[in-house]
Amino acid sequence: MSSEWIGQLRSIEQQFDRERESVADLRSLEEFKNRYLSRKSGLLTLQLQNVRQVPAAERAEFGRVANEIKAKAESVLEALQQKFAHAQADAALERERLDVTLPGIQRRIGHRHPLTQARQAIEDIFISMGYTVEDGPEVEKTYYNFEALNIPASHPARDAKDTFYIADDVVLRTHTSPVQVRTMEKMQPPVKIICPGRVYRRDAADATHTPMFHQFECLLVDEGITFSDLKGTLERFHKQFFGEKTETRLRPSHFQFTEPSAEVDVSCPFCNRRGCRVCKQSGWIEVMGSGVVNPRLYGFVNYDANRYTGFAFGGGIERYHALKYNVNDIQLYYQNDIRFLEQF
Amino acid sequence: MKISYNWLKEFIDIPVDARTLGQRVTHVGLALESCVEFGDDWVLDLDVTTNRPDCLSHLGIAREVGAIYGTVLRRPQFKVTEVSQRAADVASITIDDADLCGRYCGRYIARVKIGPSPEWLSKRLESLGVRSINNVADITNYVMMELGHPMHAFDADKLGGRQIIVRRAEVDERLTTLDGVERRLDPSILVIADAKKPVALAGIMGGGETEIVPSTTNVLLESAWFNPLSIRKTARTLGMTTEASYRFERGTDIEMASFACDRAAAMIQELAGGQLLKGTIDIFPRKPERARITLRRERIERVLGVPVDDAIVSRIFERLELQPAQTAQGWTVEVPAFRVDLAGEQDLIEEIARHHGLDKFPSTMPPSRGFGSLLPGERRVRQVRDTLSAAGYNEICTYSFSNEQMERRFYADIEPVRLRNPMTEEATILRTSLIPGMLTTLQWNLNRGARNLQMYELSKVYWDGGERRTLILGACGNLRPASVHEPPREFDFFALKGDVEDLLQRFDIPVRLTTDNIPNYYHPGRFARVGHLAMFGELHPSYAEPFKFRQRVYLAEIDIELLLRSSTSHQLEQIPRYPGVRRDFSLLFERGTQYATVHRTIGEAGIPEVVRVEPFDRMESGPFPDTKYSLSISVVYQSAERTLTDVEVEGFDKKIIQRLEERLGAQLRK
Repeated sequence: MSSEWIGQLRSIEQQFDRERESVADLRSLEEFKNRYLSRKSGLLTLQLQNVRQVPAAERAEFGRVANEIKAKAESVLEALQQKFAHAQADAALERERLDVTLPGIQRRIGHRHPLTQARQAIEDIFISMGYTVEDGPEVEKTYYNFEALNIPASHPARDAKDTFYIADDVVLRTHTSPVQVRTMEKMQPPVKIICPGRVYRRDAADATHTPMFHQFECLLVDEGITFSDLKGTLERFHKQFFGEKTETRLRPSHFQFTEPSAEVDVSCPFCNRRGCRVCKQSGWIEVMGSGVVNPRLYGFVNYDANRYTGFAFGGGIERYHALKYNVNDIQLYYQNDIRFLEQF
Repeated sequence: MKISYNWLKEFIDIPVDARTLGQRVTHVGLALESCVEFGDDWVLDLDVTTNRPDCLSHLGIAREVGAIYGTVLRRPQFKVTEVSQRAADVASITIDDADLCGRYCGRYIARVKIGPSPEWLSKRLESLGVRSINNVADITNYVMMELGHPMHAFDADKLGGRQIIVRRAEVDERLTTLDGVERRLDPSILVIADAKKPVALAGIMGGGETEIVPSTTNVLLESAWFNPLSIRKTARTLGMTTEASYRFERGTDIEMASFACDRAAAMIQELAGGQLLKGTIDIFPRKPERARITLRRERIERVLGVPVDDAIVSRIFERLELQPAQTAQGWTVEVPAFRVDLAGEQDLIEEIARHHGLDKFPSTMPPSRGFGSLLPGERRVRQVRDTLSAAGYNEICTYSFSNEQMERRFYADIEPVRLRNPMTEEATILRTSLIPGMLTTLQWNLNRGARNLQMYELSKVYWDGGERRTLILGACGNLRPASVHEPPREFDFFALKGDVEDLLQRFDIPVRLTTDNIPNYYHPGRFARVGHLAMFGELHPSYAEPFKFRQRVYLAEIDIELLLRSSTSHQLEQIPRYPGVRRDFSLLFERGTQYATVHRTIGEAGIPEVVRVEPFDRMESGPFPDTKYSLSISVVYQSAERTLTDVEVEGFDKKIIQRLEERLGAQLRK
């Protein structure tokens, strides 16, 4: 039944289907589109213009087939258009590809000194427990550095071998304890303070000594403060500073300004008490001295020794930092080599 | 203190091995330093705290061990056999200064035979690190290690007049001690003298002349008690520390003197033969009363946190030989002469804590009162540190000590704090500025291959009469090094200036620069200051020279205390609702016209709509005369009320250009 007219339409359709395979990009797509659909000379356009020559009986069928082919051609062209447009955009992005493995442009961010970091960390832990930070002079009267701490003139700790003297009654403080006395002189209990700062001892510099170092000392004097509170506070502090697994142990010792006195050990952070080189196989590392405030001290600051009790402890900031980060020579803190500083 | 495990067992039963014992005594305050095998014995090295001289002996340690394990102390047993001749008839002892010598016991042994010690004795001493000399000398050392009481043996025939006089030395008296050193004496020093001259430094070291030698036949044994302060002072003055002085200066047992004397005499008889003359010459001017201390029961709980059973407390006191008597309120104890550390109630509480065990007390948190806070200003100091970190500065921490010559180069007018006893000639004063520390640190790092450095130190400086914190920045090399992405950007004056400006602006401080009062360590053409608050610039080349810097070094000194004080709080400025208009001008100025003048002149045009003026290009040469330079400036106009019209903007432009032309002779470039 199909007439010559419709046969021609179909043959254009077949030609279209054949040629579309070889369309490769947006430019050839444009040519392809014009060949079939251009308003003046497109093969399909021309066929449609012929509709009036088609015999009337076939005209309806011709029209239907022609429109069907045209619609199909347009949808094919649209799909191709999209496909090639995407491909072109992708190609443009591909040309912009970077070697992302090259280094980033980093701003050089400076580092706080490790001792500042440790001091701030310690301050923050104690502040969270309600302590106030205090400080005092480094060039200190012997009264505050010694006498008022129950270290009389005859005590060997006052030796010029160990202490830097400025005058008969002036020294470079050998510990931060004078701040405790100065604070107690200023106020009645409760006294709840932490004193970090520089201290000086005439030790030749080696891996574990420097003639200047940093200490922090804690003092709590109030009604009802006991040795058990000292234990609890030390345990809490060490868990916060070294990590929740850390255990704290006290051993009896002797200091002039506390009684009972105790050395404080923490479980070795490197081996978790299994024993290693750092803790000399003992599982424990000595970190500070502590004790119940010797009631004799209250006489110097006019506190009622029957009413108030307290505890005090103090440690080296270098030692705490060194222990946490396995720094094996505390002189590194004062060399200020950037290869050291930039690790923290 | 070195302790022989076998020797210790002579005085006390020990249910554990040496190593376990060491760990156990650590928990009563005798920290174990080491425990090493020595033949069939073990030697424990225990750290005895300065308040416990009674533990500087095997007997003293045995007493602590007995208190731990509940075993009974056995004192050394010996027999003294005397001849009828009285020691007091042969020799005499006098104490001239009873304050410095509280007791002096002497025993006389005639016709001894000096020779080597038997092997068991020399070995025992050797295990404790004591060199064997001869039988008599070894016995005195042995008794000291056993009972803690230092002894001395004189060759009695060399004592002039067979006399012992304990007295202060006379001015310029001399004594050659056992170590062969001639000592110059003075009246602060207590000596043992014979009829004519000093023969020993009391409590420290004997003299060479009266030393026990192989030919010695008659021995005078000394067992005395000397004043701890006097011994300590003499030992320090002469720079000597001996086993004897170590014990005397901590405090020995005055009651032990005669027992120790008998013990040594008996051993000499046994090991060196001889005849022990009758009686101890015991000069004991004032026998001190034993102190009594009362302990209130309730104080135990108040100090330690929990009560301790009465039975436990009594048992601890008994085992420590404190002879406790229980009362309704608590206990009264009698302090034995060997416990020089026990003086008050708190001391007894310590004994309870120690022997009951510190681990027996629970861990509690103190009742919470008050609130915590940082030091005043510390929050802002932390902001300063954060700002400097963000700007790329590493913080350094240097010693407070410094070299006076070096400090004076920078701050010549400050009277420094001088150390009386510095450790080295390089560190005799406290620093007066942070500059030497900074330059030394830059040098240290440059010498180790670093090139691009930005550092700061925020710490104290000191002068005679005070100390204060201050801040220094130091930098050299590149701000950003060359990379695959961009060329290097050198750290220069303007990088430093920007960092100082950032810091001041963080605290809302307006930066008003001047270039007056230039310290001579700054480059005269590359320096600026903000009042007393900040000084910064390039280090003067002649000051850089001693440090051998091969690149320009920049310093900024900032008075941190002033910075913290000048900080003000500020309030929100409304964000403009209408757009601004930017206009660019290129102008020619006479050389020497400062940018600050140009900026100020634009301000003087009196246009409130000018919100920003910025230079963006500067050319020193071009199509214009050599006497001029070209500066390009952008100006932003903005109104808070409306969008500006073209006509208004052009009017502003004209006004500004006219002002610059009139005041500064500027020419607008076409």
